[in-house]
Amino acid sequence: MRSRFPNKWLPYLLLLPTLALCAIFLYYPVIQTFRLSTYRAILMGLHRKYVGFENYVRLFTSSDYIHSLTITFIFAVGVVVLGLSISLAIALLANHKIRGARFYRLLLIWPYALSPAVAGSIWLFLLNPTAGVVNYFMKVLFGISPDWLTDGRLALLAVTIAAMWKNLGYNIVFFLAGLQNLPGEILEAAKVDGAGPWTTFWRVTFPLLSPTTFFLLIMNLIYAFFGGFGLIMVMTEGGPNKATNILIFNLYQDAFRFHKWGLAAAQSVILFIMVVALTLIQFRTTGRRVHYGGQ
Amino acid sequence: MVRRFLAVALALVFATGLALGQDKIKITFWHAMGGWRVPFIERMVQDFNLTHPWIEVTVEYKGSYTDTLNAALAAARAGAGPHVFHSFEVGTQLLVDSGIIVPLEDLIDKFNLIVPWEDYIDPVLNYYRIGGRLYCMPWNSSNPIVYYNKTIMDKLGIEVPRKPTYNDIYEISKKVVESGLAEYGITWPVHSWFFEQWMAEQGVDLVNNNNGRTGYATEINLLDPAAIRIVEWWKKLYDEGLWVSPGRSWSQARQIFVSGQSAMLISSTSDVTAMENAAVEQGFELGTAFLPVPDGIERHGVIIGGGALWVTKDHPDEELQAAAEFVVWMTQVAQTIRWHQGTGYFPIRKTALKALDMEGWFVRFPNYRTAFDQLIETQLITATQGALMGTFVEARSTILDAVEAVLAGEKGIEEALQEAKALIDQSLQDYKELVGG
Repeated sequence: MRSRFPNKWLPYLLLLPTLALCAIFLYYPVIQTFRLSTYRAILMGLHRKYVGFENYVRLFTSSDYIHSLTITFIFAVGVVVLGLSISLAIALLANHKIRGARFYRLLLIWPYALSPAVAGSIWLFLLNPTAGVVNYFMKVLFGISPDWLTDGRLALLAVTIAAMWKNLGYNIVFFLAGLQNLPGEILEAAKVDGAGPWTTFWRVTFPLLSPTTFFLLIMNLIYAFFGGFGLIMVMTEGGPNKATNILIFNLYQDAFRFHKWGLAAAQSVILFIMVVALTLIQFRTTGRRVHYGGQ
Repeated sequence: MVRRFLAVALALVFATGLALGQDKIKITFWHAMGGWRVPFIERMVQDFNLTHPWIEVTVEYKGSYTDTLNAALAAARAGAGPHVFHSFEVGTQLLVDSGIIVPLEDLIDKFNLIVPWEDYIDPVLNYYRIGGRLYCMPWNSSNPIVYYNKTIMDKLGIEVPRKPTYNDIYEISKKVVESGLAEYGITWPVHSWFFEQWMAEQGVDLVNNNNGRTGYATEINLLDPAAIRIVEWWKKLYDEGLWVSPGRSWSQARQIFVSGQSAMLISSTSDVTAMENAAVEQGFELGTAFLPVPDGIERHGVIIGGGALWVTKDHPDEELQAAAEFVVWMTQVAQTIRWHQGTGYFPIRKTALKALDMEGWFVRFPNYRTAFDQLIETQLITATQGALMGTFVEARSTILDAVEAVLAGEKGIEEALQEAKALIDQSLQDYKELVGG
């Protein structure tokens, strides 16, 4: 379809404000970050020295950074896999037409409305080794009181669960919307054909829901890479002994606490490339099997 | 009629307000002390403004030390730095190299301000003297002491020595735990500050080049026997269930002690007031002692911790002068007494100490005495002057990672310290190359 603008410059003129904003707040900082990543710099770049790819070499030869990569991978897989399956299960339940359904749905979305700082503090209270509710039940039921946040492995588990929980509401909203938009006639046809609920779900509902799932997969992945920061900051500060030091926290620490700006810039470039790559891979593979209804 | 009168009156008030406002020298002050200290500091600033009608200080709480430092750096580079800001002691070298500050002593000389330096407590000023020049004004100063639950100790017939050794603490903890009167002997937050203090107590510099005082530090002394002694003792206490880990949290450590789970606590002297109050609430008697030192090692004293007030450059002279006057005023005798009584931080003036003594303050709160005596008995050597490192914050984090790895049994003491040293040395050398040429 040909453009209907009378003047061929008009569309560009109309796009100009958006492009200007993008240029100032997105493209320029991105270019600066790439540039900074080739410098050794402190104090916001007051003292700097060109070092080429030294920052990248240092990162990939540092056992701490490799450790952080591994931790991030575990964290992201946990958040995405657990988060999507649990929220889908909850969304299916919440989709039933029962009394007060709207009220339940509202409650389910609630955690998403909390700020990471508040959510982190709530988990801190829950997991407090001596005064927390979780350990109270652990003690009553199993006679143990685990050190949730001072034991490395448990701390990683705790922040993964917290981050997953925090995003549940978001996922549930989308899954619910997806479920409610499912074509009723197909579900009915399945029923008429004698498919049980299990078969209906796997053969009909789940495939039809795939655009939503795919979208959420990407959003959750991005969330796991970048959004876990607030919770980790409040709950563990990357500790104990770097056990919850995911990439984004490591970056924050290097930039804003240790003033190693070049090294931090290199890390954000790496994160950027990773998220771009993941999204591309997903579009290529999962994307092909996604069923966009009605086309 | 009334309305007209009101209008005229209002106009007059506005006019005079404007006139006065225009004459005032306006300066900004950013600090990093949250909670109830925010209104406390605001009141101090208000008093300054009242007594200095030609100056108007605007005060703002900027978040943590790190946040405040970053905000000040960014603002100063954009040409809108706060005139005065508050930073922690470990940011000292970084600020000296930042190019955004002007040494306080330069300002005082330039504007001929009269400051009775001989009345200031030496170890406090010493931390911030670099190349013989005072760079900033110490403000919230403290050091670590042992707090103990005297009620428990009395029941066990234990007399906690005023100047305990590592072994004293170990033995006392053991008796406490065996008696079952408390679950643990002692606790303190997993913080590098304590490690640094114990290095100083043993008279060992934390880094080379006289603790970074005669040149940029390039190596940290983590393989010194002094460092190993500290971690060995810490590990022993932990392995035998005598020390309990509150993680890196100061409040958690205080809570463990206050709730009676631990009979002793090592924490900052700025906690004295809070601990006194908590002890009364919980119904136990509070005792204090010096920081413990390894057995058979001479006690050299503590490093002053806390924060100081810095003045940023690139302001008109009259504003710089006002900023200097404000900073000096904050450490006037009357202000330091008020500061001490309100917050628990040291009054850094000798006259303030005398005044407090005469007022009977130390009779009422003998635990403050411990804190002062420990500071005043400190020997003036580079070890207790405190280390200067441009990468101090990072070094602290690396040291803690090593300690945590040792406590968790993931690494041996020497292995962990060796690895930490390699990381810190690399950072120190990078920093020197970048800044010191």
